[in-house]
Amino acid sequence: MSAFHRLAALALPFTLTAALHAQATSPAPAPAPDLTDPEVAHVAVTANSIDIDLAKFAETRTHNAAVKQFAATMITDHAAVNAQAGALAKKLGVTPADNAVSQSLQSGAAQARKSLEPLSGAAFDRAYIAREVAYHQAVLDAIDKVLIPTTENAELKKLLEDVRPAVATHLEHAKQLHTQLAAPAKTGQ
Amino acid sequence: MILWLLLLLAIGPVPKSHTVEIRGMEFHPAELTVTVGDTVVWINHDIVPHTATASTSIKWDTGQLTQDQTGRYLARKAGVAHYVCALHPTMKGTLVIRKE
Repeated sequence: MSAFHRLAALALPFTLTAALHAQATSPAPAPAPDLTDPEVAHVAVTANSIDIDLAKFAETRTHNAAVKQFAATMITDHAAVNAQAGALAKKLGVTPADNAVSQSLQSGAAQARKSLEPLSGAAFDRAYIAREVAYHQAVLDAIDKVLIPTTENAELKKLLEDVRPAVATHLEHAKQLHTQLAAPAKTGQ
Repeated sequence: MILWLLLLLAIGPVPKSHTVEIRGMEFHPAELTVTVGDTVVWINHDIVPHTATASTSIKWDTGQLTQDQTGRYLARKAGVAHYVCALHPTMKGTLVIRKE
């Protein structure tokens, strides 16, 4: 499946199963979209903003200290990346341009939020972190297979390359939490 | 000259400053050996903030370091300290502190 399809898969009606098994249920691979640099910039800013918004929601909903810390880190890190992206766009005189990938991401984010709304407690924590695992994996694939390869401006490409390790670290952090949340609670005996 | 050498011996080794670079979501070097009295300086080259935080018997916390900011720790006690970035717990480092 192409990185574009992994991103697009997040725009499907969100359920845990759909997000985690999007690869198995998605249509046949198609060529990656040919994005212009202003469109790449828009996708990058949109992807960061989506995760910030969901993390802010998670902070109000979770009572788990580790999940709360993870959400706080998502807000801090993605805001820092967006600040750099904004500064670079200004420097280059580029206006990020809305496009189909950004719209798919926004649509998927709205549906993810809707799916998480009725949940609380441990069920919320597990669903939120599962979504973060799937989301960061999709974004990482998109960086590698769509965003970096299609970006022409050297500074924008470098920014994406600099951001990649942070996304990979978020993914590992989310996977670690996912495993912890799936483990039976200790009784303290 | 002899007096100068005696003075140096009396003073003992001069404390050093060591730098750990934070880049690509890793501590470089991930393991560092210093001597009691030395100072360790962490400098963050990443876009996202980091900390260097030890919560073992040897404790310190640089607090959040934004891009190009530095934090430091004066090694006062010998031992081995494992530390992490409090924001990204998958980032790990080790500080080995030897006696003078």
